[in-house]
Amino acid sequence: MALSIADLPKEELFGQGHAGCGGCGAAVAGRQAMKALGSRTIITIPASCMATMGGSNLKTTWQIPFYHTLFEIAPAVSSGIRAALDAQGIEDVNVVSWAGDAGTADIGFQALTGAAERNEHMMHVCYDNEMYMNTGGQTGSQTPMFAKTSNMSKGKMIKKKNMLAIMEAHEIDYVASASIAYPLDLIAKFKKAAEKPGFSYIHILAPCHRGWQIPAEKTIEFARLAVESGLFELYEVDEGKRTRTVEPIFIPVQDYLLPQGRFKNLTQEAIQGIQAGVNRHYGRGE
Amino acid sequence: MSTTLLTGSEAAAYGAKLARIEVLAYYPITPAFPAMERISKFIDDGDLNTRFVRVESDHSALAAALGASLAGSRTFTVTNSQGLLYMTEVVYHTAGLRQPVVMAVANRALSAPHSRFPEQGDAISQGASGWIHLFCENNQEVLDNMLQAFKIAETVRLPVMVNYEGYIQSHTLEEVEIPNQEKIDQFLPLTRVRTLDVENPQAVNTVASPEFYMDYKFRQNEAMEQALTVIGSVSREYAQEFGRDWSGLIDTYQMEDAEHAFVAMGSMISDARIVVDELRSQGQKVGLVKVRAWRPFPAEALRQALKKVQLITIGDKNIVYGLGGALGTEVRSALYGQDVRINSYILGLGGRDVTTVEIKKVLELSEKTEKQATASEWFGL
Amino acid sequence: MVKNLPVVPTAKAGSLVDTPTGITWRIQYPEILENCNMCLDCTLFCPDGAIVQQEGKLVLNLSLCKGCGICANECKENAIQMIPEYSGVQGVFR
Repeated sequence: MALSIADLPKEELFGQGHAGCGGCGAAVAGRQAMKALGSRTIITIPASCMATMGGSNLKTTWQIPFYHTLFEIAPAVSSGIRAALDAQGIEDVNVVSWAGDAGTADIGFQALTGAAERNEHMMHVCYDNEMYMNTGGQTGSQTPMFAKTSNMSKGKMIKKKNMLAIMEAHEIDYVASASIAYPLDLIAKFKKAAEKPGFSYIHILAPCHRGWQIPAEKTIEFARLAVESGLFELYEVDEGKRTRTVEPIFIPVQDYLLPQGRFKNLTQEAIQGIQAGVNRHYGRGE
Repeated sequence: MSTTLLTGSEAAAYGAKLARIEVLAYYPITPAFPAMERISKFIDDGDLNTRFVRVESDHSALAAALGASLAGSRTFTVTNSQGLLYMTEVVYHTAGLRQPVVMAVANRALSAPHSRFPEQGDAISQGASGWIHLFCENNQEVLDNMLQAFKIAETVRLPVMVNYEGYIQSHTLEEVEIPNQEKIDQFLPLTRVRTLDVENPQAVNTVASPEFYMDYKFRQNEAMEQALTVIGSVSREYAQEFGRDWSGLIDTYQMEDAEHAFVAMGSMISDARIVVDELRSQGQKVGLVKVRAWRPFPAEALRQALKKVQLITIGDKNIVYGLGGALGTEVRSALYGQDVRINSYILGLGGRDVTTVEIKKVLELSEKTEKQATASEWFGL
Repeated sequence: MVKNLPVVPTAKAGSLVDTPTGITWRIQYPEILENCNMCLDCTLFCPDGAIVQQEGKLVLNLSLCKGCGICANECKENAIQMIPEYSGVQGVFR
């Protein structure tokens, strides 16, 4: 049965009063995900905007148990939490680690691959804003080719590491991409992941308007353009079965790329190369 | 209660078993791995109902143990040397979160150059981490300290390292008395504190502003000071229940009329007891002070124990570069203003032998040395 | 005088809701117009949980809103407009 927004839980488990920027894409991702996960969830978040905006001193926006972990350890901590719940006979709790692209693909990758290989009963979520925003927007492995960042003013000259493919190679229970512009698709994927007995991985494209140099109100719009252009494919791999969940309408990639400040130096040649890559991926010929 | 031959590794494993740990996480490293394997065997054989998280690194081992502790389970891990250094970030973090995790450390030298042999440098590197450090002189004490460690940790809400030396203790068989499980259950009931709890949600480790951070650190240090008392009371309670008295923060041997005291910690202590007996039989007024708890540092206990001696000789199986031996430096500092001759020696690094022969030579050398040219001299080069 | 703090550094769940961060940053605020068709999209796009559905109605909580404008930008019916917080030459707060 298709989800409808009216039927979603009304409780606000994350986001109200948070300390993040206005128009924060990560906060949108957190709010949408919590509509699926519910109050019986324990979440660990390593160093990131998402961790710091959760609260300070004696105040927090989280309504569920939340632990701001060290940078590299969230999936390992969550493995330990699951072990403790099992030991205490507590069964109906979702155990989630939730990290940015650095805490997932770079500094956090070791603990992630370990937990995935053990097929721990938990899920890891990457909210990907394609650069290290909590330290001001430096380049990381999830930064796309050509994007300018605070420490690469001429743009990154190598490709983005494909985390979804890497996690799929772990042969875990569930792998999915998601976008904050498609909340019902995102929520459906979280619900599926929560039902799995083993490890799930969800990779959310969550634009950061500061890093991407777009207006704050266009955070969702650019998340949508990424999908519509075909550059960010929405799909799932459910116990090995791959399904595309949203068909792109194939707007020209330049309509997504050129309005972003981080891509303002893109050449026509580069755009053509990116477009050709998208066409090839979807079997649309050269 | 039964007596059997156990290595230090096995003694640590039996300690974890008797403590009924609920979650275990470790990453293999030499020479700590036999302790890990023994606990895994307990689990496989159905003798221990514990969840084992087979992590991919030492760093994640303590992280997983920490997560389990925050979720309310009694947890344990084992490591040493490079593993301990690799997990150092989590070591400090665990103390700041006030989680009563117990970790056995089979002390081993640090690279470079590469060495897999005993030394206390790994534990010493964690002296500012906020963990309570206990050092064991023999395998019986490894087992007994494991059980006391959980009690201390859960009382003051600080993590505890139980240190025993690689090979010298970890791989050497000694007679060990294994306490009765029912009596241990009474001594060490499970006190479940769930910090991460869906029934009572809260946010852990929110960002602390300058207005708050220092107050948290004050409380953390206050707990360490509380441990100065608790280590003693737990030790006394254990002695009453199980008949073995490891005498709290420090132990003294033949100190009543001693003029010359040897101060050390770890495996050297059991050898030093023999040396003291031998020198006493020759009429020399020599005594021994064993530092059992290195953190919190038992400064007051040491001042009391050492107030009548004329000469103090300190043996350090570690080196703090540019400063000297850690124990030597700290004992000097504790005795500041006291009119006593103090000689401190670095010895036994990276597995170089420290037997009764070496300890006797160090004491002789110290007798002849009026004033050391440096804070710590090197012995046995 | 040392503060009386929890043993483990923690914060009570949801405690920021009553003292939200960031609303003083706001330079514009949303207004929901009559042509709203209750599609509820804005409730899932708002980063701050400032627009929620309550008893079949759309409720705007300005004490949580940072004024980012996502809701107005995403509304398919153009039923949300952003109004400046400051007006006039002196920039008078509303």
